Amino acid sequence: MREYVEMATGLHGYLTVGAILLTLGIVGVLSRKNTIGILLGVELMLNAAAINFVAFSKYRAAAIDGQVAALFIILIAAAEAAVALAIILRFYRLKQTVDSDEANLLRN
Amino acid sequence: MSAGLKLVLLGAQALTVVSAILVAFHPNILYASVSLLATFAGVAVLFVYAGADFLAGVQVVVYVGGVTILILFAVMLTQWLYEMRLRDVGVKLLMPCILGVLFFSSLFKVLGGLAAWVLARPPEGLEKFAALPKTEPIGEALLGAYLLPFEAVTVLLLGALVGAVWLARPK
Repeated sequence: MREYVEMATGLHGYLTVGAILLTLGIVGVLSRKNTIGILLGVELMLNAAAINFVAFSKYRAAAIDGQVAALFIILIAAAEAAVALAIILRFYRLKQTVDSDEANLLRN
Repeated sequence: MSAGLKLVLLGAQALTVVSAILVAFHPNILYASVSLLATFAGVAVLFVYAGADFLAGVQVVVYVGGVTILILFAVMLTQWLYEMRLRDVGVKLLMPCILGVLFFSSLFKVLGGLAAWVLARPPEGLEKFAALPKTEPIGEALLGAYLLPFEAVTVLLLGALVGAVWLARPK
């Protein structure tokens, strides 16, 4: 019991939470039809990557570089969310729905 | 780390995982967005425990205060006001879940070995690094070794914001 708590509060815990978030993000992206739901899945995946960077920055390098990489991830995720939501709003105005199956304007 | 601190960390991990499950599976997209807020808050706590105080603050400001509100606005603008249908209809869960379980089990195995390898070779000054305030070193890194990526990200942010405004403009 004690050693499991030790593992869960150490590097193993961070990596496990990161892997769970990544998997849930992938499952969310694959299973959802709602484009906003897909965006939620992508945000989960990006957070998982940031957790991994921060964890290895502490346990592997004991240096700041991983945290800088995580900072860039957060910034790019914010920019991505803004653009994606603008596209979703535009798409909704065009089609009156946010269903990803309806996004077939470029087909044929 | 004292027992109470460990308990808080385990609680934050549980909060992150449970709310992330809700994000991935809740049929109501509004509830999924709100539970994303809890996920981001839990990740911020994890950052604090990994010695990333500045990143935790950025996480709260950008994600909890920014991205989640943006997503909630988008949900309400596209669905709430026009029709009360918020359900994500026609969700196919079986194949994604099978794929997810396979992916997670293989990832878990690989990461377990990796973590054991890393923990067997602890870096110098780990405790000292974890206790250090990180704002100053991050600022120096951004304006020193990472100056070029920093400038690239500023241009990207500008482009993304202008593009978002242009895309969302009224007809």
